Amino acid sequence: MITFFNVSCTFGKEAGVKNINLSINEGEFVFLTGSSGAGKSTLLRLIYMDLFPEKGKVVIRNFDSSKVRSSEIPFLRRKVGMIFQDFRLLEDRNVYENVALSLYVSHYKTREIRQRVYNVLNQVGLGHRVYYNPRELSGGEQQRVAIARALVKEPVVLLADEPTGNLDPRVSSDLMSLLTRINQNGTAVIVATHNYSLIPRVSNARLIQVNEGEIVNPT
Amino acid sequence: MIVFWFLIKEGFRGLWRSNYAGAFSIIIITLSLILIGFGYVAARDTLVMVENIRSQFDITVFIQRETPPVELENFTKELGNFREIEKIVYVSSDSAAAQFRAEFGEDIFDILDYNPLPPSFTLSLKPPARNLASVEEVVTRIRQFPIVDEVKYRKTFLELLEKYQRLIFIAVVTVFIILTMISIILASNSIKMTIFSRRNVITTMKLVGATNNFVRAPFLIEGTLEGLGSALLAAVIIGLTFYFLNNYLHSFTGYRAIVSYRFYGGLVVLGSLMGLVGSTRAIRRFLE
Repeated sequence: MITFFNVSCTFGKEAGVKNINLSINEGEFVFLTGSSGAGKSTLLRLIYMDLFPEKGKVVIRNFDSSKVRSSEIPFLRRKVGMIFQDFRLLEDRNVYENVALSLYVSHYKTREIRQRVYNVLNQVGLGHRVYYNPRELSGGEQQRVAIARALVKEPVVLLADEPTGNLDPRVSSDLMSLLTRINQNGTAVIVATHNYSLIPRVSNARLIQVNEGEIVNPT
Repeated sequence: MIVFWFLIKEGFRGLWRSNYAGAFSIIIITLSLILIGFGYVAARDTLVMVENIRSQFDITVFIQRETPPVELENFTKELGNFREIEKIVYVSSDSAAAQFRAEFGEDIFDILDYNPLPPSFTLSLKPPARNLASVEEVVTRIRQFPIVDEVKYRKTFLELLEKYQRLIFIAVVTVFIILTMISIILASNSIKMTIFSRRNVITTMKLVGATNNFVRAPFLIEGTLEGLGSALLAAVIIGLTFYFLNNYLHSFTGYRAIVSYRFYGGLVVLGSLMGLVGSTRAIRRFLE
Protein backbone atom coordinates (compact mmCIF):
# COMPACT_ATOMS: atom_id res chain seq x y z
CA MET A 1 0.00 0.00 0.00
CA ILE A 2 2.84 2.41 0.92
CA THR A 3 6.22 1.96 -0.70
CA PHE A 4 9.39 4.02 -0.39
CA PHE A 5 11.78 3.48 -3.30
CA ASN A 6 15.30 4.58 -2.36
CA VAL A 7 13.99 7.85 -0.93
CA SER A 8 16.24 10.70 0.20
CA CYS A 9 14.86 13.95 1.48
CA THR A 10 16.70 16.67 3.38
CA PHE A 11 15.45 20.09 4.22
CA GLY A 12 16.81 23.09 6.09
CA LYS A 13 19.18 22.23 8.88
CA GLU A 14 17.34 19.01 9.72
CA ALA A 15 18.85 15.76 8.65
CA GLY A 16 15.79 14.37 6.84
CA VAL A 17 16.06 10.80 5.53
CA LYS A 18 18.53 8.95 3.28
CA ASN A 19 18.11 6.02 0.92
CA ILE A 20 14.91 4.70 2.47
CA ASN A 21 13.44 1.50 1.05
CA LEU A 22 10.32 0.50 2.89
CA SER A 23 7.00 -1.17 2.24
CA ILE A 24 3.93 -1.06 4.49
CA ASN A 25 0.95 -3.28 3.82
CA GLU A 26 -2.77 -2.72 4.26
CA GLY A 27 -3.95 -3.28 7.83
CA GLU A 28 -0.46 -3.24 9.37
CA PHE A 29 0.40 -1.63 12.70
CA VAL A 30 3.83 -0.01 12.47
CA PHE A 31 5.93 1.78 15.04
CA LEU A 32 8.52 4.20 13.71
CA THR A 33 10.92 4.73 16.58
CA GLY A 34 14.04 6.76 17.08
CA SER A 35 15.29 9.78 18.92
CA SER A 36 14.09 13.31 18.18
CA GLY A 37 15.34 14.48 14.79
CA ALA A 38 15.98 10.91 13.59
CA GLY A 39 13.67 11.39 10.61
CA LYS A 40 10.40 9.78 11.82
CA SER A 41 8.26 12.85 11.13
CA THR A 42 9.93 13.28 7.74
CA LEU A 43 8.81 9.78 6.78
CA LEU A 44 5.23 10.61 7.78
CA ARG A 45 5.32 13.92 5.91
CA LEU A 46 6.53 12.09 2.83
CA ILE A 47 3.51 9.78 3.11
CA TYR A 48 0.96 12.59 3.20
CA MET A 49 3.03 14.49 0.64
CA ASP A 50 3.77 17.50 2.74
CA LEU A 51 7.36 16.84 1.58
CA PHE A 52 8.66 15.37 -1.65
CA PRO A 53 11.75 13.23 -2.10
CA GLU A 54 14.85 14.74 -3.65
CA LYS A 55 15.76 11.24 -4.79
CA GLY A 56 13.57 8.19 -5.26
CA LYS A 57 9.80 8.13 -4.89
CA VAL A 58 7.00 7.29 -2.49
CA VAL A 59 3.93 5.47 -3.76
CA ILE A 60 0.73 5.40 -1.72
CA ARG A 61 -1.82 3.24 -3.51
CA ASN A 62 -2.09 4.95 -6.91
CA PHE A 63 -0.48 8.23 -5.83
CA ASP A 64 3.13 8.41 -6.99
CA SER A 65 5.19 11.29 -5.54
CA SER A 66 7.22 11.56 -8.74
CA LYS A 67 4.12 12.05 -10.90
CA VAL A 68 1.46 13.50 -8.62
CA ARG A 69 0.08 16.96 -9.43
CA SER A 70 -0.48 19.42 -6.60
CA SER A 71 -4.22 19.41 -7.39
CA GLU A 72 -4.31 15.65 -6.66
CA ILE A 73 -2.75 15.86 -3.19
CA PRO A 74 -6.06 16.74 -1.43
CA PHE A 75 -7.48 13.46 -2.78
CA LEU A 76 -4.55 11.53 -1.28
CA ARG A 77 -5.07 13.25 2.06
CA ARG A 78 -8.70 12.18 2.11
CA LYS A 79 -7.38 8.59 2.22
CA VAL A 80 -4.77 9.31 4.89
CA GLY A 81 -5.73 10.21 8.46
CA MET A 82 -3.27 12.22 10.53
CA ILE A 83 -2.92 12.96 14.21
CA PHE A 84 -0.28 15.11 15.84
CA GLN A 85 1.27 15.71 19.24
CA ASP A 86 -0.32 19.18 19.37
CA PHE A 87 -3.71 17.80 18.14
CA ARG A 88 -4.16 20.68 15.63
CA LEU A 89 -7.80 21.19 16.48
CA LEU A 90 -9.53 24.42 15.50
CA GLU A 91 -10.49 26.29 18.62
CA ASP A 92 -12.90 28.55 16.77
CA ARG A 93 -15.40 25.68 16.38
CA ASN A 94 -16.80 22.86 18.47
CA VAL A 95 -15.96 19.15 18.46
CA TYR A 96 -18.70 18.31 15.95
CA GLU A 97 -17.54 21.00 13.51
CA ASN A 98 -13.88 19.95 13.85
CA VAL A 99 -14.72 16.38 12.93
CA ALA A 100 -17.28 17.27 10.25
CA LEU A 101 -14.75 19.49 8.44
CA SER A 102 -13.02 16.37 7.07
CA LEU A 103 -16.26 15.31 5.41
CA TYR A 104 -17.32 18.74 4.15
CA VAL A 105 -14.06 19.01 2.21
CA SER A 106 -14.93 15.68 0.58
CA HIS A 107 -18.40 16.96 -0.40
CA TYR A 108 -20.47 14.55 1.71
CA LYS A 109 -24.18 15.14 2.22
CA THR A 110 -25.31 16.75 5.48
CA ARG A 111 -27.27 13.74 6.68
CA GLU A 112 -24.35 11.40 6.09
CA ILE A 113 -21.96 13.84 7.73
CA ARG A 114 -24.14 13.96 10.84
CA GLN A 115 -24.45 10.20 11.00
CA ARG A 116 -20.76 9.56 10.52
CA VAL A 117 -19.63 12.25 12.99
CA TYR A 118 -21.90 10.96 15.78
CA ASN A 119 -20.80 7.38 15.07
CA VAL A 120 -17.11 8.15 15.15
CA LEU A 121 -17.41 10.33 18.26
CA ASN A 122 -19.19 7.47 20.03
CA GLN A 123 -16.49 5.12 18.79
CA VAL A 124 -13.75 7.24 20.43
CA GLY A 125 -15.88 7.72 23.56
CA LEU A 126 -16.75 11.37 23.05
CA GLY A 127 -20.48 11.06 22.31
CA HIS A 128 -21.15 13.30 25.32
CA ARG A 129 -18.76 16.06 24.24
CA VAL A 130 -20.16 16.78 20.77
CA TYR A 131 -20.81 20.50 21.26
CA TYR A 132 -17.86 21.26 23.49
CA ASN A 133 -15.11 23.58 22.41
CA PRO A 134 -11.70 21.83 22.21
CA ARG A 135 -10.41 24.22 24.91
CA GLU A 136 -12.94 22.75 27.33
CA LEU A 137 -11.54 19.24 26.90
CA SER A 138 -8.61 17.45 28.54
CA GLY A 139 -5.49 16.60 26.52
CA GLY A 140 -6.61 12.98 26.10
CA GLU A 141 -10.05 14.05 24.93
CA GLN A 142 -8.54 16.51 22.45
CA GLN A 143 -6.37 13.77 20.99
CA ARG A 144 -9.45 11.57 20.65
CA VAL A 145 -11.22 14.36 18.75
CA ALA A 146 -8.19 14.48 16.44
CA ILE A 147 -8.45 10.72 15.98
CA ALA A 148 -12.17 11.03 15.27
CA ARG A 149 -11.42 13.70 12.66
CA ALA A 150 -8.90 11.41 11.02
CA LEU A 151 -11.12 8.31 11.20
CA VAL A 152 -14.38 9.84 10.06
CA LYS A 153 -13.25 9.83 6.43
CA GLU A 154 -12.44 6.09 6.71
CA PRO A 155 -8.78 6.37 5.78
CA VAL A 156 -6.69 3.47 4.54
CA VAL A 157 -3.93 4.48 6.89
CA LEU A 158 -3.78 6.49 10.10
CA LEU A 159 -0.52 8.38 10.72
CA ALA A 160 0.23 9.40 14.30
CA ASP A 161 3.16 11.71 14.97
CA GLU A 162 4.14 11.46 18.66
CA PRO A 163 0.45 11.07 19.58
CA THR A 164 1.16 10.64 23.29
CA GLY A 165 3.73 13.41 23.56
CA ASN A 166 1.39 15.66 25.53
CA LEU A 167 -0.49 12.98 27.44
CA ASP A 168 0.05 11.33 30.81
CA PRO A 169 0.82 7.55 30.96
CA ARG A 170 -2.74 6.44 31.77
CA VAL A 171 -4.27 8.46 28.94
CA SER A 172 -1.46 7.31 26.63
CA SER A 173 -2.35 3.72 27.43
CA ASP A 174 -6.05 4.36 26.63
CA LEU A 175 -5.03 6.01 23.38
CA MET A 176 -2.93 3.02 22.34
CA SER A 177 -5.88 0.73 23.07
CA LEU A 178 -8.00 2.90 20.81
CA LEU A 179 -5.42 2.83 18.01
CA THR A 180 -5.21 -0.97 18.35
CA ARG A 181 -8.99 -1.23 18.03
CA ILE A 182 -8.93 0.97 14.95
CA ASN A 183 -6.22 -1.24 13.45
CA GLN A 184 -8.24 -4.37 14.21
CA ASN A 185 -11.05 -2.86 12.14
CA GLY A 186 -8.72 -2.92 9.13
CA THR A 187 -7.06 0.50 9.07
CA ALA A 188 -3.29 0.53 8.84
CA VAL A 189 -1.72 2.54 11.67
CA ILE A 190 1.74 4.10 11.65
CA VAL A 191 2.86 5.60 14.94
CA ALA A 192 6.02 7.69 15.07
CA THR A 193 7.27 7.84 18.66
CA HIS A 194 10.33 7.99 20.82
CA ASN A 195 8.32 6.56 23.71
CA TYR A 196 9.43 2.92 23.65
CA SER A 197 7.08 1.95 26.48
CA LEU A 198 4.17 2.10 24.01
CA ILE A 199 5.51 -0.72 21.83
CA PRO A 200 4.71 -3.72 24.07
CA ARG A 201 1.09 -2.55 24.29
CA VAL A 202 0.46 -3.58 20.69
CA SER A 203 0.93 -7.22 19.87
CA ASN A 204 1.98 -8.04 16.29
CA ALA A 205 3.17 -4.48 15.70
CA ARG A 206 6.05 -4.02 13.30
CA LEU A 207 8.93 -2.00 14.62
CA ILE A 208 10.99 0.21 12.35
CA GLN A 209 13.91 1.99 13.98
CA VAL A 210 15.14 5.17 12.41
CA ASN A 211 18.49 6.70 13.20
CA GLU A 212 20.02 9.78 11.57
CA GLY A 213 17.66 9.48 8.65
CA GLU A 214 18.26 5.81 7.95
CA ILE A 215 16.34 2.68 8.83
CA VAL A 216 18.41 0.63 11.25
CA ASN A 217 16.50 -2.65 11.01
CA PRO A 218 15.30 -2.96 7.42
CA THR A 219 12.63 -5.63 6.98
CA MET B 1 -24.95 22.72 -3.15
CA ILE B 2 -24.24 21.61 0.44
CA VAL B 3 -20.61 22.60 0.00
CA PHE B 4 -21.71 25.95 -1.43
CA TRP B 5 -23.80 26.75 1.65
CA PHE B 6 -21.09 25.41 3.92
CA LEU B 7 -18.58 27.79 2.36
CA ILE B 8 -20.99 30.75 2.55
CA LYS B 9 -21.67 29.92 6.21
CA GLU B 10 -17.94 29.57 6.86
CA GLY B 11 -17.37 32.97 5.27
CA PHE B 12 -19.94 34.66 7.54
CA ARG B 13 -18.73 32.78 10.60
CA GLY B 14 -15.19 33.79 9.76
CA LEU B 15 -16.21 37.38 10.51
CA TRP B 16 -16.90 36.42 14.14
CA ARG B 17 -14.07 33.93 14.36
CA SER B 18 -11.47 36.43 13.24
CA ASN B 19 -12.17 38.41 16.42
CA TYR B 20 -9.88 41.42 17.03
CA ALA B 21 -7.96 40.92 13.80
CA GLY B 22 -11.22 41.13 11.83
CA ALA B 23 -12.39 44.17 13.77
CA PHE B 24 -9.02 45.84 13.23
CA SER B 25 -9.27 45.07 9.54
CA ILE B 26 -12.75 46.63 9.32
CA ILE B 27 -11.53 49.76 11.12
CA ILE B 28 -8.55 50.13 8.76
CA ILE B 29 -10.65 49.59 5.61
CA THR B 30 -13.30 52.01 6.91
CA LEU B 31 -10.65 54.68 7.56
CA SER B 32 -9.12 54.04 4.15
CA LEU B 33 -12.48 54.43 2.44
CA ILE B 34 -13.27 57.58 4.39
CA LEU B 35 -9.92 58.97 3.25
CA ILE B 36 -10.62 58.00 -0.36
CA GLY B 37 -14.20 59.36 -0.16
CA PHE B 38 -13.21 62.74 1.27
CA GLY B 39 -10.17 62.83 -1.03
CA TYR B 40 -12.39 62.24 -4.05
CA VAL B 41 -14.90 64.94 -3.11
CA ALA B 42 -12.11 67.43 -2.30
CA ALA B 43 -10.33 66.70 -5.60
CA ARG B 44 -13.56 66.90 -7.58
CA ASP B 45 -14.69 70.16 -5.96
CA THR B 46 -11.27 71.77 -6.36
CA LEU B 47 -11.34 71.03 -10.08
CA VAL B 48 -14.98 72.20 -10.35
CA MET B 49 -14.08 75.40 -8.52
CA VAL B 50 -11.24 76.13 -10.93
CA GLU B 51 -13.55 75.42 -13.87
CA ASN B 52 -16.19 77.73 -12.33
CA ILE B 53 -13.64 80.53 -12.15
CA ARG B 54 -12.86 79.94 -15.80
CA SER B 55 -16.56 79.92 -16.74
CA GLN B 56 -16.93 83.41 -15.28
CA PHE B 57 -14.57 84.72 -17.93
CA ASP B 58 -16.19 86.92 -20.56
CA ILE B 59 -15.35 89.33 -23.37
CA THR B 60 -16.84 92.82 -23.55
CA VAL B 61 -17.21 94.32 -27.02
CA PHE B 62 -17.84 98.07 -27.04
CA ILE B 63 -19.71 99.39 -30.06
CA GLN B 64 -19.35 102.82 -31.53
CA ARG B 65 -22.03 105.19 -30.36
CA GLU B 66 -24.73 106.15 -32.86
CA THR B 67 -24.43 102.77 -34.65
CA PRO B 68 -27.65 102.27 -36.59
CA PRO B 69 -29.92 99.49 -35.27
CA VAL B 70 -29.71 97.59 -38.56
CA GLU B 71 -25.94 97.31 -38.23
CA LEU B 72 -26.28 96.25 -34.62
CA GLU B 73 -28.69 93.56 -35.72
CA ASN B 74 -26.33 92.37 -38.45
CA PHE B 75 -23.42 92.32 -36.00
CA THR B 76 -25.49 90.26 -33.55
CA LYS B 77 -26.18 87.79 -36.34
CA GLU B 78 -22.49 87.65 -37.20
CA LEU B 79 -21.62 86.94 -33.55
CA GLY B 80 -24.19 84.15 -33.61
CA ASN B 81 -22.12 82.47 -36.33
CA PHE B 82 -19.06 82.22 -34.05
CA ARG B 83 -18.82 78.55 -32.99
CA GLU B 84 -16.83 79.52 -29.89
CA ILE B 85 -19.52 81.82 -28.46
CA GLU B 86 -22.00 80.32 -26.00
CA LYS B 87 -24.02 83.37 -24.92
CA ILE B 88 -24.45 86.92 -26.25
CA VAL B 89 -25.85 89.66 -24.02
CA TYR B 90 -26.47 93.09 -25.55
CA VAL B 91 -26.15 96.05 -23.19
CA SER B 92 -27.53 99.28 -24.69
CA SER B 93 -26.31 102.72 -23.60
CA ASP B 94 -29.50 103.15 -21.56
CA SER B 95 -29.04 99.76 -19.87
CA ALA B 96 -25.43 100.67 -19.13
CA ALA B 97 -26.62 103.94 -17.55
CA ALA B 98 -29.17 102.02 -15.48
CA GLN B 99 -26.44 99.60 -14.39
CA PHE B 100 -24.26 102.57 -13.41
CA ARG B 101 -27.10 103.96 -11.31
CA ALA B 102 -27.65 100.60 -9.64
CA GLU B 103 -23.97 100.15 -8.88
CA PHE B 104 -22.95 103.69 -7.87
CA GLY B 105 -26.27 105.17 -6.72
CA GLU B 106 -25.93 108.24 -8.93
CA ASP B 107 -27.47 109.10 -12.24
CA ILE B 108 -24.89 109.56 -15.00
CA PHE B 109 -26.93 112.46 -16.44
CA ASP B 110 -26.61 114.38 -13.16
CA ILE B 111 -22.83 114.22 -13.49
CA LEU B 112 -22.20 114.71 -17.19
CA ASP B 113 -25.46 115.93 -18.74
CA TYR B 114 -25.09 113.21 -21.35
CA ASN B 115 -24.64 109.41 -21.43
CA PRO B 116 -21.00 108.60 -22.27
CA LEU B 117 -21.50 104.86 -21.91
CA PRO B 118 -21.33 103.07 -25.25
CA PRO B 119 -23.51 100.11 -26.12
CA SER B 120 -21.73 96.81 -25.69
CA PHE B 121 -21.97 93.06 -26.04
CA THR B 122 -20.93 90.68 -23.26
CA LEU B 123 -19.83 87.37 -24.72
CA SER B 124 -19.47 84.09 -22.87
CA LEU B 125 -17.48 81.37 -24.56
CA LYS B 126 -18.15 77.67 -24.73
CA PRO B 127 -15.97 75.62 -22.29
CA PRO B 128 -13.50 74.33 -24.94
CA ALA B 129 -12.90 77.90 -26.15
CA ARG B 130 -12.15 79.30 -22.69
CA ASN B 131 -8.42 79.37 -23.32
CA LEU B 132 -6.01 82.09 -24.23
CA ALA B 133 -5.41 80.98 -27.83
CA SER B 134 -9.12 80.72 -28.70
CA VAL B 135 -9.97 83.97 -26.93
CA GLU B 136 -7.25 85.88 -28.80
CA GLU B 137 -8.44 84.47 -32.10
CA VAL B 138 -12.08 85.44 -31.38
CA VAL B 139 -11.01 88.91 -30.28
CA THR B 140 -8.94 89.44 -33.45
CA ARG B 141 -11.88 88.46 -35.61
CA ILE B 142 -14.30 90.71 -33.70
CA ARG B 143 -11.96 93.69 -33.95
CA GLN B 144 -12.22 93.54 -37.72
CA PHE B 145 -15.87 94.70 -37.64
CA PRO B 146 -16.01 98.46 -38.33
CA ILE B 147 -18.70 99.09 -35.72
CA VAL B 148 -16.49 97.69 -32.97
CA ASP B 149 -14.85 100.40 -30.91
CA GLU B 150 -12.96 98.37 -28.35
CA VAL B 151 -12.70 94.77 -27.09
CA LYS B 152 -11.81 94.10 -23.48
CA TYR B 153 -11.06 90.88 -21.64
CA ARG B 154 -9.02 89.87 -18.61
CA LYS B 155 -5.92 88.61 -20.36
CA THR B 156 -3.72 88.39 -17.25
CA PHE B 157 -6.45 86.46 -15.41
CA LEU B 158 -6.62 83.96 -18.23
CA GLU B 159 -2.84 83.65 -18.41
CA LEU B 160 -2.61 82.97 -14.67
CA LEU B 161 -5.46 80.49 -14.80
CA GLU B 162 -3.87 78.67 -17.71
CA LYS B 163 -0.54 78.53 -15.92
CA TYR B 164 -1.89 77.18 -12.63
CA GLN B 165 -4.91 75.11 -13.62
CA ARG B 166 -2.76 72.34 -15.08
CA LEU B 167 -0.56 72.44 -12.00
CA ILE B 168 -3.59 72.27 -9.70
CA PHE B 169 -5.04 69.40 -11.74
CA ILE B 170 -1.80 67.40 -11.60
CA ALA B 171 -1.38 68.11 -7.86
CA VAL B 172 -4.96 67.16 -7.00
CA VAL B 173 -4.95 63.98 -9.10
CA THR B 174 -1.51 62.94 -7.80
CA VAL B 175 -2.51 63.44 -4.17
CA PHE B 176 -5.73 61.50 -4.77
CA ILE B 177 -3.93 58.60 -6.46
CA ILE B 178 -1.27 58.42 -3.71
CA LEU B 179 -3.99 58.55 -1.05
CA THR B 180 -5.93 55.78 -2.76
CA MET B 181 -2.86 53.59 -3.16
CA ILE B 182 -1.83 54.03 0.47
CA SER B 183 -5.37 53.19 1.54
CA ILE B 184 -5.50 50.07 -0.61
CA ILE B 185 -2.10 48.86 0.65
CA LEU B 186 -3.16 49.49 4.27
CA ALA B 187 -6.44 47.67 3.77
CA SER B 188 -4.75 44.79 1.97
CA ASN B 189 -2.17 44.39 4.74
CA SER B 190 -4.79 44.42 7.46
CA ILE B 191 -6.68 41.64 5.65
CA LYS B 192 -3.41 39.76 5.34
CA MET B 193 -2.99 40.05 9.11
CA THR B 194 -6.51 38.71 9.66
CA ILE B 195 -5.80 35.69 7.49
CA PHE B 196 -2.37 35.22 9.06
CA SER B 197 -3.98 35.10 12.49
CA ARG B 198 -6.08 32.15 11.26
CA ARG B 199 -3.43 30.31 9.29
CA ASN B 200 -3.99 27.22 11.46
CA VAL B 201 -7.44 26.91 9.85
CA ILE B 202 -5.80 26.87 6.42
CA THR B 203 -3.19 24.30 7.50
CA THR B 204 -5.83 22.04 9.06
CA MET B 205 -8.15 22.30 6.04
CA LYS B 206 -5.28 21.31 3.75
CA LEU B 207 -4.32 18.41 6.03
CA VAL B 208 -7.83 16.94 5.95
CA GLY B 209 -7.89 17.06 2.16
CA ALA B 210 -9.41 20.40 1.19
CA THR B 211 -8.65 21.61 -2.30
CA ASN B 212 -7.17 25.09 -2.70
CA ASN B 213 -10.52 26.46 -3.92
CA PHE B 214 -12.28 25.00 -0.90
CA VAL B 215 -9.76 26.65 1.44
CA ARG B 216 -9.86 29.92 -0.48
CA ALA B 217 -13.62 30.43 -0.80
CA PRO B 218 -14.58 31.20 2.83
CA PHE B 219 -11.69 33.66 3.14
CA LEU B 220 -12.71 35.48 -0.04
CA ILE B 221 -16.31 35.66 1.19
CA GLU B 222 -15.08 36.89 4.57
CA GLY B 223 -12.79 39.49 2.98
CA THR B 224 -15.56 40.74 0.71
CA LEU B 225 -17.97 40.98 3.64
CA GLU B 226 -15.37 42.90 5.65
CA GLY B 227 -14.92 45.29 2.73
CA LEU B 228 -18.68 45.64 2.27
CA GLY B 229 -19.28 46.26 5.97
CA SER B 230 -16.46 48.80 6.07
CA ALA B 231 -17.85 50.57 3.00
CA LEU B 232 -21.31 50.85 4.58
CA LEU B 233 -19.74 52.20 7.76
CA ALA B 234 -17.63 54.66 5.76
CA ALA B 235 -20.69 55.74 3.73
CA VAL B 236 -22.64 56.47 6.93
CA ILE B 237 -19.74 58.46 8.43
CA ILE B 238 -19.14 60.45 5.23
CA GLY B 239 -22.90 61.04 4.80
CA LEU B 240 -23.27 62.30 8.36
CA THR B 241 -20.19 64.53 8.02
CA PHE B 242 -21.53 66.12 4.84
CA TYR B 243 -24.98 66.50 6.41
CA PHE B 244 -23.40 68.33 9.36
CA LEU B 245 -21.17 70.39 7.06
CA ASN B 246 -24.03 71.40 4.75
CA ASN B 247 -26.59 72.15 7.45
CA TYR B 248 -24.60 73.63 10.30
CA LEU B 249 -21.31 74.89 8.90
CA HIS B 250 -22.43 76.14 5.50
CA SER B 251 -22.89 79.70 6.77
CA PHE B 252 -19.26 79.73 8.03
CA THR B 253 -17.58 77.91 5.18
CA GLY B 254 -19.79 78.86 2.27
CA TYR B 255 -19.10 75.37 0.99
CA ARG B 256 -21.71 72.77 0.25
CA ALA B 257 -20.61 69.23 -0.50
CA ILE B 258 -22.98 67.56 -2.90
CA VAL B 259 -22.64 63.84 -3.38
CA SER B 260 -24.98 61.53 -5.25
CA TYR B 261 -26.11 58.01 -4.51
CA ARG B 262 -23.68 56.91 -7.20
CA PHE B 263 -20.83 58.16 -5.00
CA TYR B 264 -22.04 55.95 -2.13
CA GLY B 265 -22.62 53.08 -4.55
CA GLY B 266 -19.07 53.50 -5.82
CA LEU B 267 -17.78 53.46 -2.26
CA VAL B 268 -19.59 50.19 -1.54
CA VAL B 269 -18.26 48.60 -4.74
CA LEU B 270 -14.73 49.86 -4.00
CA GLY B 271 -14.86 48.57 -0.40
CA SER B 272 -16.08 45.14 -1.47
CA LEU B 273 -13.42 44.97 -4.18
CA MET B 274 -10.73 45.99 -1.69
CA GLY B 275 -11.86 43.15 0.58
CA LEU B 276 -12.00 40.64 -2.26
CA VAL B 277 -8.67 41.59 -3.85
CA GLY B 278 -6.95 41.93 -0.45
CA SER B 279 -8.07 38.49 0.67
CA THR B 280 -7.23 36.93 -2.72
CA ARG B 281 -3.69 38.30 -2.47
CA ALA B 282 -3.31 37.30 1.17
CA ILE B 283 -4.59 33.74 0.85
CA ARG B 284 -2.38 33.08 -2.19
CA ARG B 285 0.67 33.14 0.06
CA PHE B 286 -0.70 30.38 2.26
CA LEU B 287 -1.73 28.14 -0.60
CA GLU B 288 1.57 28.11 -2.46
